[in-house]
Amino acid sequence: MSDRGISRRDFAKSAVAIGGASALAACLDRFGSPDVPSGTDPATLPARQHAWDGGLPTDDAGNHRLGRHHVLLLLDYERDGTPTSGDRQQVTDALQSLERAYAWGADGLQFTLGYSPAYFDRFEAEPVGVDLPEPSALAPFEDPEFDTPDAILHLASDHEQVVLAAEEALKGKQESVNDREMAASFSGVFSERDRRTGFVGAGLPAENQDVDGVPDSEPVPEDAPLFMGFKSGFKENQASEDRVTVESGPFAGGTTQHLSQIRLQLQQWYEQDSRDQRVSKMFCPAHADEENVEGVGENLGTDSGVGSCADDVVENSRTEGVAGHAEKAARARDDSDTPIILRRDFDSTDGGEARVHFLSLQRAIADFVATKSMTNGTDVADESAVGQRVNNGILQYMRVERRGNYLLPPRDLRALPPADPAQ
Amino acid sequence: MDRRRFLASAGLAGASILAGCGAIENQSTRSPPLVEDRPDATYYPTHSEGMEMIGHKEAGDYMVGLTYSYPHRFWTVTGTNAEQVTIQDADSVHLMASVWDPETEMVLPIESGVSITIDADGETVADKQPWPMVSQNMGFHYGDNYQLDGEGVYEITVRVDGMTERRLDGLADRFGDAGEMTTNFEFSRDARDDISYDEYADQQGSRAALDLMNMEMIPTSQVPATEDLPGKLLGTAKGSDEVYAATWLTEADFLEPGQSYLAVSVRTPYNRVPLPMMSLDGTVEIDGETAFDDTLSPAVHPDIGYHYGAVVETTGDPSVSVETVSPPQVSRHEGYETAFIGTPTLEF
Repeated sequence: MSDRGISRRDFAKSAVAIGGASALAACLDRFGSPDVPSGTDPATLPARQHAWDGGLPTDDAGNHRLGRHHVLLLLDYERDGTPTSGDRQQVTDALQSLERAYAWGADGLQFTLGYSPAYFDRFEAEPVGVDLPEPSALAPFEDPEFDTPDAILHLASDHEQVVLAAEEALKGKQESVNDREMAASFSGVFSERDRRTGFVGAGLPAENQDVDGVPDSEPVPEDAPLFMGFKSGFKENQASEDRVTVESGPFAGGTTQHLSQIRLQLQQWYEQDSRDQRVSKMFCPAHADEENVEGVGENLGTDSGVGSCADDVVENSRTEGVAGHAEKAARARDDSDTPIILRRDFDSTDGGEARVHFLSLQRAIADFVATKSMTNGTDVADESAVGQRVNNGILQYMRVERRGNYLLPPRDLRALPPADPAQ
Repeated sequence: MDRRRFLASAGLAGASILAGCGAIENQSTRSPPLVEDRPDATYYPTHSEGMEMIGHKEAGDYMVGLTYSYPHRFWTVTGTNAEQVTIQDADSVHLMASVWDPETEMVLPIESGVSITIDADGETVADKQPWPMVSQNMGFHYGDNYQLDGEGVYEITVRVDGMTERRLDGLADRFGDAGEMTTNFEFSRDARDDISYDEYADQQGSRAALDLMNMEMIPTSQVPATEDLPGKLLGTAKGSDEVYAATWLTEADFLEPGQSYLAVSVRTPYNRVPLPMMSLDGTVEIDGETAFDDTLSPAVHPDIGYHYGAVVETTGDPSVSVETVSPPQVSRHEGYETAFIGTPTLEF
């Protein structure tokens, strides 16, 4: 096979995707050291680890915009049995060092540390008052593998240098960040099981589209915040931080996090589907008919508007032959008619493949499961000409490869919490 | 060098230099201009392409046959719109998967679909879910154009998901689980370009269809002639060129006493290829009383084939109305893209 091209995996990868001291050095060398606001007394930070919105900029319409660069570290606790107070102190010291070094915002650093059901096995008990099942397949047509690390760290910042430096510092490979000494690191407490990276925001998907899963024609729009070419995470289609927060029990102030790793295959999406078909499948057929979406969808403001696409999505799909992803998802609402998950997902080139790290926060994992069952559209497929994947939202273009569930405890319990902190 | 940049620079070079390198020569030029004034019906296409067998194997309960041909233009359907998919420069082959029941040799349209992964040298070259399609000479299959990475041996894996359609009588309890098969494919441009190719300058655009190919290893995707359908044939009718046949069963293994079954079989004219992925509503009146008024669900039956049906909780002499809520959402090869796109209501 002499005339095959060189593997695209050999080509340009972002510094965050590569990671490590040399990537950080190359990044600093090339782009310099950004002027990053320093942090504060950790005691003044919100009680919720997931209280990020206050530190996020908003776009012209008023939607919160996540930090542009992300690292996820899947971690194992290195000690068998229940955690020691020394380990807890070490984790606390390390995280508080980061909080003192960087402002809690997208222009600084935001992070969460969460724990899996596997972690709580050591207490032979489930975390009290929280719905945190083991991960499972959530559609009849998916066959994911399950993530079972003990813990997961999510780092986010607008600056590549910041997420890379924070990661190096936590791994004990860098003694200070943003001119602040690290009082401790995770060294000896956590070991890395997997490392995932990504980005979200205008320009980044287009810059990073030289990966398997995106055709060579460079179809991703320059201003798209995500590989599929449309904006998501509209304020009115997201749960609020309040809505996803655990309300009572020892973990009140915490939340649950679901993380799926999704493989994207966008050749058909960009080279075979028309713009109208893409709008129909991402939002709803009415948005395509009425030309409601301009470009990547900035004109939609703070609401994707899919609530008014159809009175009944299944009935509408029977006529239209297609169901929109957003209109299916919007059916998952609580009694007060508000969405129940808060998406903080981002795209990735890990493994040289176009991926989504679909990270969402919700009060209970059941809220994610309910939302996912809506986007599965099995009811649409069963009762209409829409296929289980063909014309059924964006299911034809993605495959869920991994799933994991985590508890993000409130900030004061984030360091190796017991299953029942009240005891 | 970046592959994309390589291709871009190759594009500036003279055509003679390109022979035998890069991806340019993958392009099929065998795509004559479309017929002008295509009828809103099945029509004889501008050309036809043969196909070559890659292999066939069991995949769980299913049998899967893989074939290939030149890259094709085709049309995807959403609602009542057919959108043309043009051949991309990088497209190497049109790959087709047929799925059938090895016991009855019935070709199975499966709403949950098929995924095809193509690997070479341990790297995934393509991984997508091909479109459910109908073509005049192949019938129903899953197909798409694929971009390979030059000549050589590829490993192709086909995964067929479990059927969600209702399976009746001898097909009940089967095809509920996914199945997978893997086969090798040696791609050579010479072999592909040896596949038969015929143009029909005189016949193109006429109200006719190509014959179904007789494929040795793959059964033909046809539903029974209307007169061979079991039960009492209530009638046949023509919609937007597709043929509807309604039959009424009062005896079947899956029926309880006092129940009947309305089956509506929708097929192409000329070739009797089943047309899956429609939304149909049905109304049944018996002695002036409405006995049924609801959705007709997709189902397969050994003697009816793929159809839309419903159990009706009564017996008697029915008068039936079938409303097409949406036409078959299957992609179309040339000659079918302007047909089967209407939403008729028909009486039987």
